[in-house]
Amino acid sequence: MMDKNYWELFFAESEEYLRQINNCLVKLEEDYSQTEALNEIFRLMHTIKGMSATMGFNELAEFSHAIEDLFEALRSGKQKITPDIMDTIFSCIDAFAILLEEIKAKKEISIDVKDYICRIRNIINKREELSEDLSSKGDVTEIDVSPQEVEILGRKIEEGWDIYKLKIKLVSECLMKGARAFLVIVRLKKMGEVIKIVPPEEELKKGNFSIYFVVILATKEEEKVIYDELSQILELEEIKITPFSAVPRKENKIKSPITTSYFKKIQSIRIPVERLDKVMNYVGELSIAKSRLLEVINLKDKSLLEGTVSLIERLISSLQDEVLQLRLLPISYILDAFPRIVRDLVKKSDKPKSVEIEIKGSEIELDRVILDELGDILIHILRNAIDHGIEDEQTREKLGKSRKGKITINVSREKGQVIVEIIDDGKGIDFNEIAKKALEKGIISEKEVTSLDVQKVLDIITMPSFSTSTKVSDISGRGVGLDMVKVKLDALGGRLNFESELGKGTKFIITLPLTLAIVKAMLVELGQETFAIPLMSIRESIKIEGGEIKTIQNIDVIKIRNEIIPLIWLGRELAIKEEEELNNKLSVVVVEGKNKSLGLVVDKIIGEQDIVVKPLGNIGKKVKGFSGATILGNGRVALILDVVNLL
Amino acid sequence: MARVLIVDDALFMRKMLSDILKKEGFEVAGEAENGKEAVEKYKALRPDLVTMDIVMPKMEEIDGISAVKEIIKFDPKAKIVMVSAMGQHALVVEAIQAGAKDFIVKPFQPSRVAEAIRRVLGRDK
Repeated sequence: MMDKNYWELFFAESEEYLRQINNCLVKLEEDYSQTEALNEIFRLMHTIKGMSATMGFNELAEFSHAIEDLFEALRSGKQKITPDIMDTIFSCIDAFAILLEEIKAKKEISIDVKDYICRIRNIINKREELSEDLSSKGDVTEIDVSPQEVEILGRKIEEGWDIYKLKIKLVSECLMKGARAFLVIVRLKKMGEVIKIVPPEEELKKGNFSIYFVVILATKEEEKVIYDELSQILELEEIKITPFSAVPRKENKIKSPITTSYFKKIQSIRIPVERLDKVMNYVGELSIAKSRLLEVINLKDKSLLEGTVSLIERLISSLQDEVLQLRLLPISYILDAFPRIVRDLVKKSDKPKSVEIEIKGSEIELDRVILDELGDILIHILRNAIDHGIEDEQTREKLGKSRKGKITINVSREKGQVIVEIIDDGKGIDFNEIAKKALEKGIISEKEVTSLDVQKVLDIITMPSFSTSTKVSDISGRGVGLDMVKVKLDALGGRLNFESELGKGTKFIITLPLTLAIVKAMLVELGQETFAIPLMSIRESIKIEGGEIKTIQNIDVIKIRNEIIPLIWLGRELAIKEEEELNNKLSVVVVEGKNKSLGLVVDKIIGEQDIVVKPLGNIGKKVKGFSGATILGNGRVALILDVVNLL
Repeated sequence: MARVLIVDDALFMRKMLSDILKKEGFEVAGEAENGKEAVEKYKALRPDLVTMDIVMPKMEEIDGISAVKEIIKFDPKAKIVMVSAMGQHALVVEAIQAGAKDFIVKPFQPSRVAEAIRRVLGRDK
């Protein structure tokens, strides 16, 4: 049963279901009457329960069973949804996700499943037989009051009634506890008005509770009188009477687990059968081509040989494409989690904000390695947008904006790149504010303050030491911000840009390569060596005469269409040769560097080619200026230039 | 000394209860073996407390529960303690609804019975 295949499938599927549940929850939170979402969550939880039980994960099975029960109660209308219940559900789902993760990683389990189950049961008013360890955990009999009940309580208080919360504990050997509890209720009803009983009276009468129950009583009697009356009843071990305030609890008792990670490394991918079939087909055709090759070699016919080789070449390239496809996953894999993340972020912001999120283009596919990193990157930008961008409801109203802020995540494909835009309609980035702050921190000089452009601002805000907010929300991990975004994007070969209009909003633009493993690159020659430059960073390649080179402040530059572009003598820079021959025509590859374009002078441009990127490993990592290596058709190794960091 | 009326159809139970109560220092004002007799004896004896077996044969449409109702109707302050066996949960609830002050469950320990009675007599004593 615990076959490895089942194992992986179980976790992949459960995680997927949890994502769906989270999204349903976000919908539900917006509108409690979303029966469709309720039913969906119920169904998903039911499925997870069945799967967990089959796998023999009892904790997961019990936990999901409890959650399923809760949703059964919610969708049947037996239990109304309240904000408190929503919070409890969210924290339960989080705990469930962590539990799942821990079981998957075969780690020690940190989640107190029984505790969560008990809290759920408290909501459904079926207390688990956990009373013993509950009593040691203090006040478990927190009571949730519905808005209607708050209203009733309010009226009673106005009329001069006192409101008490009575916590009754029966002796553990109590027989017929339902009748016993009922006796208490009957007595209490004689002394005032019973507003609420947990569990409700019907359940109580049937004895469906452990040994505790809680009553909210509105009375004109004194506490002492109530106590004396109740103490006439047998088998009550504890009678606790406390004044009850009708204010609904804001702070939920359940703390969400602190380390909620929204994204897990992608370890298994579900692949459509057709794609696998295609791969199989190509492999089949390749082996046919191989037999043909053997035949042709015996025939010693050169043109037939060439034909066969080019056939094999085509097949391999198709196969390569297809295998690459297998690595791709729709970006929805991470974006699906965002409604929930936005909800959490908004809840955590200290001002009343509301934000809706729109996601476009989530069907676009990206390499799984990029997706692994992209999730965190996007969270940081989103957090930024919510914390610093979107104004609170009041401010927005004053500004004539809709109360609800809007964040749009827009994914599109352009040539070999994927572009992710994160657009908010908040206050935009205030360049003056940035300048002031940067000046304070000594990042820029007095002179630079007035000449800040988008590029400079981007540089400033992605500096590790720079943050315009003094407070740090806990979701992105202690103040790590845009600087981390930049580092991660660099590693992926992506780029970050932004556009911002004061008062209107900000748009962050992330440009990513479609896949990491294979990139289009320009091969260039330098001395005896061949180097690859990723096409993504190349603007153009030109030939120039030696005489076109000018010198400004000891830097060689050329002028292309009225733009001054500094030149880098790559041969010298990489210490391949000492002197450049100036008289010949020079090949220059113009690349988009960090802030500006640069011209790389090379000996020869070989041409464009798809290259397979191989990591350099530990030794290579120490060498600056290269992002990896690739093996060329002739079997030689070419280093891939890391343009951004080379300069 | 508090005076108690014992109502039970089984002689064995009446004897047992009577012994326990006497030992615990109560006075047994009288005994009744069905609901009808219980109501009559309550009116005649006006005991401080009644122990009422919950399941008794009906006598002229009066069983344990209806006896409780009758007695409460006659004296709203009447103190009645139901004597029940396990499994008669619904009946106990009904009796409480009718006005019974408490209940004890058979098989019981003598000390429990005495305690229940003392508690119910409670403040007045």
